[in-house]
Amino acid sequence: MSETAFCDDKSQLIDYLYGGLETTARRRFEEHLRRCTACASDVRELSAVRTELATWQAPDVNLAVAVDVAAALPYAQPSTLAVFQPSQSSGAPALQPSSPPDLQASSPPALQSSRPSLPVWAQFAAAVLVGAIGLSIANIQVRYGADGLTVTTGWMQPAAPSAPAAVVAAPVGAGTATASTAADTAADWQPALSALEASLRSEIQAARNDVTTPVNAPAASTRSASGVSAANVTDLIAASEKRQRQELALRLAQFGRDLEVQRRSDLVRINQGFGQFEGRAGAEIARQRQMLDYIMRVSAQPPPQ
Amino acid sequence: MTWTDEELVTRAVAGDQDSFNQLIIRWERPIYALAYRVIGRDEDARDVAQEAFMRAFRALPGFKGQAKFSSWLYRITLNLCRDWIRRQKRTPVVSAPEGLDIIEMAAEQGPVESIEELVARKQLSATVAEAMQHLPEEQRTAIILKEYHGLTFQEIADLQQCPLSTVKTRLYQGLSVLRRQLQAQGITGSGASEKAS
Repeated sequence: MSETAFCDDKSQLIDYLYGGLETTARRRFEEHLRRCTACASDVRELSAVRTELATWQAPDVNLAVAVDVAAALPYAQPSTLAVFQPSQSSGAPALQPSSPPDLQASSPPALQSSRPSLPVWAQFAAAVLVGAIGLSIANIQVRYGADGLTVTTGWMQPAAPSAPAAVVAAPVGAGTATASTAADTAADWQPALSALEASLRSEIQAARNDVTTPVNAPAASTRSASGVSAANVTDLIAASEKRQRQELALRLAQFGRDLEVQRRSDLVRINQGFGQFEGRAGAEIARQRQMLDYIMRVSAQPPPQ
Repeated sequence: MTWTDEELVTRAVAGDQDSFNQLIIRWERPIYALAYRVIGRDEDARDVAQEAFMRAFRALPGFKGQAKFSSWLYRITLNLCRDWIRRQKRTPVVSAPEGLDIIEMAAEQGPVESIEELVARKQLSATVAEAMQHLPEEQRTAIILKEYHGLTFQEIADLQQCPLSTVKTRLYQGLSVLRRQLQAQGITGSGASEKAS
């Protein structure tokens, strides 16, 4: 190849620039560069441009996006997600000639925030589990007594029945097996239920009689009914009030001590915060001063000719 | 065990979602970087990269392996970038140069890099980005694929659907325009050239 041909054929220069020339071709081109100052200058300056290009970095990326595969892909299994995750690798592998399909006519994809969904069976199982746990926590109880069928919830225990053996309690949370067993033995309960009914009726009647008694009955009748005298009640109340006062005084003292400790620790923290802030501000001022010095130095220099 | 792209594609088409996740993890950064440098906007580049993966995912069953997966993905991304530029109907502009906040820059400062060097590096990067965005799209894409993605001339020719010689011409012309623009900014010149060489 003649010298002029080297100068005219810029593809040789590009090949040389990117290391694409074979050994023999490279030596010939380097010989040409020794004789041709224009091409040598071209190579030097374009190499410098390539060096400058290396300073342009793309920002870090985190494409944390979930793609609803079921919505986006006809071939994907339902209820599955592909999650775009940040990557630490950046490769630039060699590529081969390609002829990709025409993808321009595709409809927009379904992008979602990254929240994976569960299969339907898993959602159902979870719902059943949560329901069972809820019922257990609520402590639902079914009682059948003299006043009929009673369903109670929560952990508050009802008043103890006078005939506990006659009360049927079947926690729902224990499962359906318990309920079916209870149903099977219902026939055995009939005598016990009758006894319970009679007992409850007599108790209710006694309670009604107590209610009809006047509230402001004479002290003697009260004493005789409860066996506790009014003086004793007064003493008990006085003792209780004394205990309450002592407890209140103790709690107030404890609260005051806690408050003082908290106040002291807050003061220490505030002092530390001020110290750190002053340190940072000082460093910042020093940095800005350094920057201003630099700008002053640069601006004082004469412009390049 | 490390699967090749093509093996992961086969597994993904068979319904293995993790395999496509692996492909995303492997190609997320190069694809985003390509979109960012071609269209010059961070947020839009993210959208383009996500869209590229989505389209690739949808079209995966039609991928017959006649080309490398990476090449196919680059083509999809470049098509999307071209669409984006067409929609903008103007020359893409790089986002406002970042990094001129001294506080932020001081936080990024390396242990041996002075604040002056950091400022200079940031300014140089912004100037290069600005100069790149003034290049014609074909020249810019050719330079990006060569400089930042290490593609061969033939691969670039395939992606740009042009002869090999055209790729080299685009590279030469693009680099020459960049040289003039950077010299006009006082960034590179004979002094810089000597330093670089």
